[in-house]
Amino acid sequence: MPAPTAPAPAGKAERSRQGPLGDRARSQRHRTRPGQAPGGRPLWLMWPGQLCLLVIIAVPLAVGVYISLLDLNQYSLRTWVSAPFVALQNYTEALFGGNILGTSALQSLLVSIGFSVLTTILITPIGILAALSVHSSFRGRGLVRTLYLVPYTMPIFVTALLGRMAFLNGGLVNQGLHALHITSGGTYWLVGPKSFWALVAVDTWSSWSFVYIMILGGLQLIPTDLYEAAELDGAGYWQKLARITFPQMRQILALALLISTLNHFNNFTLPFVMFGTPPPSAADVLPLNIWVTSFQLFRFGLGAAMSIITLVLMLIPGYVYFRAVRLGTTEVKA
Amino acid sequence: MTRRPSAQEMLPRPVRAVVIGVLSLFVIVPIAYLLLLSVTPDAEAGKQLVPSHFAWGNYFSMWGTVNLLSGLLNSVIVAGLASFIAVVLAVGGGYVITRYTFLGRRSYLYSLIGLQTIPQVMLLLPLFVVYSSVQTALHIHFIGSYPGLILTYLTFALPLATWLMVAYLRDIPAGLEEAALTDGATRLTALRRVVAPLAVPGMVVALVFSFLVGWNDVLFASVLTNNGTRTVAVQLQVFEQAQQGGALPLYGQLMGAAVVSALPVVLLYMFFQRYLIGGLAAGATKA
Repeated sequence: MPAPTAPAPAGKAERSRQGPLGDRARSQRHRTRPGQAPGGRPLWLMWPGQLCLLVIIAVPLAVGVYISLLDLNQYSLRTWVSAPFVALQNYTEALFGGNILGTSALQSLLVSIGFSVLTTILITPIGILAALSVHSSFRGRGLVRTLYLVPYTMPIFVTALLGRMAFLNGGLVNQGLHALHITSGGTYWLVGPKSFWALVAVDTWSSWSFVYIMILGGLQLIPTDLYEAAELDGAGYWQKLARITFPQMRQILALALLISTLNHFNNFTLPFVMFGTPPPSAADVLPLNIWVTSFQLFRFGLGAAMSIITLVLMLIPGYVYFRAVRLGTTEVKA
Repeated sequence: MTRRPSAQEMLPRPVRAVVIGVLSLFVIVPIAYLLLLSVTPDAEAGKQLVPSHFAWGNYFSMWGTVNLLSGLLNSVIVAGLASFIAVVLAVGGGYVITRYTFLGRRSYLYSLIGLQTIPQVMLLLPLFVVYSSVQTALHIHFIGSYPGLILTYLTFALPLATWLMVAYLRDIPAGLEEAALTDGATRLTALRRVVAPLAVPGMVVALVFSFLVGWNDVLFASVLTNNGTRTVAVQLQVFEQAQQGGALPLYGQLMGAAVVSALPVVLLYMFFQRYLIGGLAAGATKA
């Protein structure tokens, strides 16, 4: 294993202070001004990538908006352009009706929001504590750091399979709770209302590492002399945390929480593999509901309307994220 | 006078020991359970914690029952080709972005971030419709084929790969290429012969992250593959669904297959973790 304790690559701190394009890029720009550049400007190098983004993301985005206004099913799919136009009917059905499996989009939305907010609240302190515990060096730190990474590195479909097994009637969780005399060990976790908690537990396990990685990366960017100065002034652990670490980490922590909320909200794989379809309604998160509506009930129009509702909701945290990134880059240049 | 804590220490030692102990258990217990399940006889997996004997045979019989080899091969082909193309395109794009100024350069970079916040599940259905239109229009078999899936993964890997390459290429001095250009090389030759070899470490990291996009995906593969092209993720999911309600669910073999499909990914991350920590923080704030 190549030195797992190795510090972040040198130049990283400098790079992040520079912003994404850096100052060097700007100075090069003068050197390669059109007319001076001996090789011309091969802008066409970007076209294949842009074409992919257009065909796979931008066009479907537009198609999705259009489909959401149609009454489209598996029969009209081949001629989807001429499917009956129903205006906003899909949207009203998504918000107020229930599908034949019993979970309306609105209900799923509440499950999704509850799930994302709760897991984010749970993983934040775990991730922060983990990062703080391995920041300073000690014997075996590399091993602990590697261990902390494991939940993040596990493919989600494997974590979901493991979660399913652990929460089976005779699985690890029930056996463990029984051994500790907390329950009688016969709880059904994968059906009914308790499935929500099974989902939260497995997702917490699989996602705290992300917060840990972000925070650890952020800790490495805090200048050591701040702590040394604080120490000379006689500051203790708590004061260092409260006066230096947390204020310095505010931006990266906010970003980590924002990204993980987005990730939780959009997590399809975990509930899909863990519960199968149709899922129990307590665990029927919005992405899963959209999938079932589209590919099991073949209500393509309704599925698209639910997708657009999701997108609109995601625009709010997405915009905040976007702003944060832009701010991060302009601030550091000033 | 009390001993002052070392400047870098964030937690008092006893607290640190407790945190490390608890979190290590939190990680190790489920992993140990996964490994234990993979050697538990199918009849006992999910019913009792301690198997009556270790069924090492799971690791042999699973290849036939789960159809694991075909899943792994499909994943390697699809994720491999998608990540390779994504990196090639990202190097080209990143090179242009770091070396030239042009209208929309900055907005292009930022739109890459914007694209990443779009929920993938909302693109699945329209993409399916677009693909099936292509199928009908051109009379070709596209849904369920490799190219459809590769095109999808390569596109979703592209934003991160481009950002990684921008960050890397920026630090390669332009003087080197200019020397080559003065000697009469074309821009493309300079990129291929001078810049690309220097950018190999960055390309490897971008390749790994792009590869994982395809390897870990279930959403697109659940709709865009068929029996023959299923990636390992969907292969396991389908197999698991088939076990539910079966008389004797083959959970032991299933978990053996899960271990085998997770292992390469976990090892890849371990190998590249120095780029991950810090890189992700810098990358995620900036990419």
